[in-house]
Formats: sequence, C-alpha cells, structure tokens
Amino acid sequence: MCTTTIESNDKLFKVINIAFKVGEQKILDNISVDINSSDITGIIGPSGAGKSTFLRLLNKLISPSEGKIYYQDQDTKNIPAQKIRKEIGLVQQRPFLFNGSVKDNLLYGPKIWAIDYSDDQLIQLLQKVALEKEFLDKQVEGLSGGEQQRVSLARSLANKPNVLLLDEPTSSLDINSEEIIENTLKQLSEEGIKIIIVTHSLEQTERITESILFLREGKLIEKIGTEKFFSKYDINEIRSFFKYKRSEDVR
Amino acid sequence: MTDILDTFNEIFLTLGNPNIWIRLALASILLIVLIIFSLWQNTDLEKKIIWSFLRGLIQIILLGSILLLIFGIDEIWLLYIILLFMCFFAAYTNWRSYPYPRIFTMNFIAITLSVMIIMTFALFSSAIPNFDGIIYQPNQTSGVSLGSYVIPVGSMVIFFSMRESGVALERLKSDLLKSKGEIEAALALGATPTRSIRGLLRDSFRASLVPTINRVAVLGVVTIPGLMSGMIIGGASPIEAAVYQVVVFMMLLTAAFFTSIITNYLFIKQFFTAEDQIDLEFFNIISQKNKKKQKKRKK
Repeated sequence: MCTTTIESNDKLFKVINIAFKVGEQKILDNISVDINSSDITGIIGPSGAGKSTFLRLLNKLISPSEGKIYYQDQDTKNIPAQKIRKEIGLVQQRPFLFNGSVKDNLLYGPKIWAIDYSDDQLIQLLQKVALEKEFLDKQVEGLSGGEQQRVSLARSLANKPNVLLLDEPTSSLDINSEEIIENTLKQLSEEGIKIIIVTHSLEQTERITESILFLREGKLIEKIGTEKFFSKYDINEIRSFFKYKRSEDVR
Repeated sequence: MTDILDTFNEIFLTLGNPNIWIRLALASILLIVLIIFSLWQNTDLEKKIIWSFLRGLIQIILLGSILLLIFGIDEIWLLYIILLFMCFFAAYTNWRSYPYPRIFTMNFIAITLSVMIIMTFALFSSAIPNFDGIIYQPNQTSGVSLGSYVIPVGSMVIFFSMRESGVALERLKSDLLKSKGEIEAALALGATPTRSIRGLLRDSFRASLVPTINRVAVLGVVTIPGLMSGMIIGGASPIEAAVYQVVVFMMLLTAAFFTSIITNYLFIKQFFTAEDQIDLEFFNIISQKNKKKQKKRKK
C-alpha cells in the first residue's frame, strides 16, 4: 500500500505509483517520484516514453488511472481543476493558438482570472519570449511555427503561474530564439517559478536543468542530478539509444 | 366510430375520380423516363427508384388517410399525445442520422420541451381578451376542428426543431473533433468546459439558424409559404394570412433555437468529465462513428 504522508515541504509534486492507461495500453506505469521546488527539472526519454502524458497529468488535463499526485502536500484529486491549471501552466508541444490576434491569445487566461494587463506589460511578456512589440496586434494565422510556439509560452506566462510545464518549447526555434527562451526560463526560475521541461535536446538539458527524470516505455528509469547524469552516461550512446538528433540537426 | 367509417368512406369514394388515375399514369410515365435515364447513366438505381416510388405512394396514401382523421380531432389532450408521438419520431429520425451516445433521449427531451412550451403558449394565447389566439380556436358552430389548426403548425414546429437541432449538433460534433487541441489549450489556462468551447457553440447555432432566418427575410419575395397561400385561397385576408405566417415562423425559430440549445448543452455534458477534462472514451466513440460515417459517404 502506498503511504500518503509528505515528508518535506520542499516537495513541489509527490507522485505515488501512478499509471495511465488508454484502453488496455499502459502509457505510464507505476511511477513514483518527488519533484523538488527549487530545480528546473528536465524530463527526457525516447519517443513514446510517456513524457507529454506525465506533464498533462500534472496539469490535471488527464487523471491517472491508478495512483496519486500531490501538489504542495495536497492530493490533486481534491483541488478543483481550474485552480490547478491557473497555478500550473502548461505549454504544449503544438501551440494551438486561438483565432484572433496575439493580444487576444495573451489575454485569454487573464480575462478568466481577472488579471489586469496594460499594453506595455503585454509587450514585456512578448520580449520575454523573443518577440517584437509589433506582434501584439498581429493575427495568429500569419505567424510561423516558431512564433506561434513563443506566443503559446507567453500566453501561459500571462496567467502568472506558480509552476510552468513545458513540452519541447524550443523545438521549432532558431538558435538565437532558443537562447533567449532558455535565458527567460532561467530568469523565471530565479524569480521563483518552478519549471519542468520535456526536451529532445540533450544540450538544452545540460544547459538549463538541475535534475532529470529519465523515462522509457512509460516507466521511470531514474531521477538523477543533471551533472551526475552526464558523467554517468556516454552522451553519444544516449543519443543513439533515444534516436535523439543534435539540436542543430533538428533545425 | 361512425366518424372514422365516414372518413374511410370518403377516402374510398375518391377512388372513383378519374383524375387520380390519370395523375398516377402520368407519374408512371415519368417513372419510366427516370429509369431510362438511370440505365443510360449506369447509376444502378433502377430497382431503388421503383421500390421508393411504390413504397412512398403507399405510405403517403396511408398517411393522408390518417391525417384526415387527426385533423378531425377536437380534444386538446389527444392532440398533445399526437404531438408527443411526432416528437418521439423526430428524435428517432435525428438519432438515426446522428447515432451518438444518448442522442435519442437528449433530442427527444429537447424537442418535446420546446414544442410543448411553444404550442401551449400558442394554444392558450386566446386567453387574451378580444383575441382569437395565435393558433385560431374554432368555435363549435364553425364546423372546423382544432386538430386541423394544431397539427399542421405543430408538425412544422417539430420538423424545424428536429432539423435545426440536428444541424447544430452535427456542426458542434465536427468542430469538437477538429478542435481538441484548442479546447485543451483553453482548459489548460483554467477555462471552464463551457468557456473553452464558447466559440464552437456559437458557430453551431449560427450554422443551424442562419438559413431559417434568411428564409424569413425573403418571405413574400423568394418564398411564398404554403400555409399563407392556403389561407388566402381559403378566403382569409392577405394581411391576416401574412401576420399568421410571420407568427408561425417566429414560433418555428424560437422552438428550433431552444431545441438546439438543450440538445447541444446535454451533448457537451458528455464530452467533459466531472474534473473538466475531455472524456477520452466519449471522444473516441464519436470519433470512430464519424469515421464510419465518412467511409459510408465515400462509398
């Protein structure tokens, strides 16, 4: 039987024996892990490892078939979904912007939560994701994939979340934009926003994360400090094992 | 009982009218032309055309005979039961076209509620002093029964409610399937389920209502409604007939909109779980049914 007591207040999430099934297929199986509040945590693993599903569980877009997830000592089952989603922002791999302008998208969450934004504050948000102020009034249909991805990140930030879950937020970006986003993430982390990021780039993992959840075929292989991970494993072996490409090759 | 026998007697007497047989003969000539066209264009529809012609003819003769009986009814409670049966059949028809889980029950509730409210309002509007009622209340000396007013109007209200709620439902379902990502993006920002699909609901109602609203807008210019024409031919003043027609159209629109709202809101209740997530099981069911439907269309 699983214990439900939380040992330390330092735990952002405590995940106990969770599984997620679609029909008979187990996407995630028997995962137990603590995620600390101080780190930027990376989630890595080959395709189909269940990384995105894990993020969706934390944002309560889906519920585990088995097991429990605690957020700041509270069983997420007992926290209203809307409240969790306000606190824990999710930036999905595909941006899924709403019809209308960039401004409409940025203000979608704040309108729900009655957060006031001036145009200047919205422009600051755009700058955090490496977009010029001219983008504010642009229609989203005309944006490139990378621009859409950045608007999607800014849209989540506009909600002023406590935790930010990111599913490959820089996969369609050029090197400069990627660098700006990474700096923003580090800065957000310093400002106290907890960040959990799924990434396909081992370089990015090394650059910005402090700890790593290593998933494979729906199972947690290990939770490990980033430095330790890169000294323990041969990076080329990992790359070929994950079928990961180098970030430059992806571009 | 004597009334029923008299009605059937009347029906059989019309068989002696040569006009009926000449019309049937002309229809048969057109049927032969249709079959020649079908053979020429290799549509392989000949059997279907003959079968539909015969089946349709028999059904419509039977229906016509029953209608004559129904039009003779004066008891309000009996008319309500007939309307209820018609609502049942309308919901069944929609369910056949849109076979998603619980559609029959939801659509039956929606159509019945809307139709009963609007028809009761129309029937009892005659309580207003010096007013005959939205639906004309015949007196005993007029020799016309209540059924001949209630059933035609009721059938139109039911038909519009059925058709428009079907269109709205189908539109909403297609948009829900297409927009899963956007809906989840909205939910992930803290939107309630209803808020996350507000635009889709609006579009579904627009898709169903706009053609009928346009029909009202072109009344008397492009469309000459049968009800109004019938009233004028029957001796009513054109103004009286026109006002009656417009009132009936407003009844149709109101009932249809209300039916669409109830059906779609009941439908989306199934689309989301109690924890404000997309119900993946339900999503997969409608997605599979949608694929089957598309395959059928392609065939």
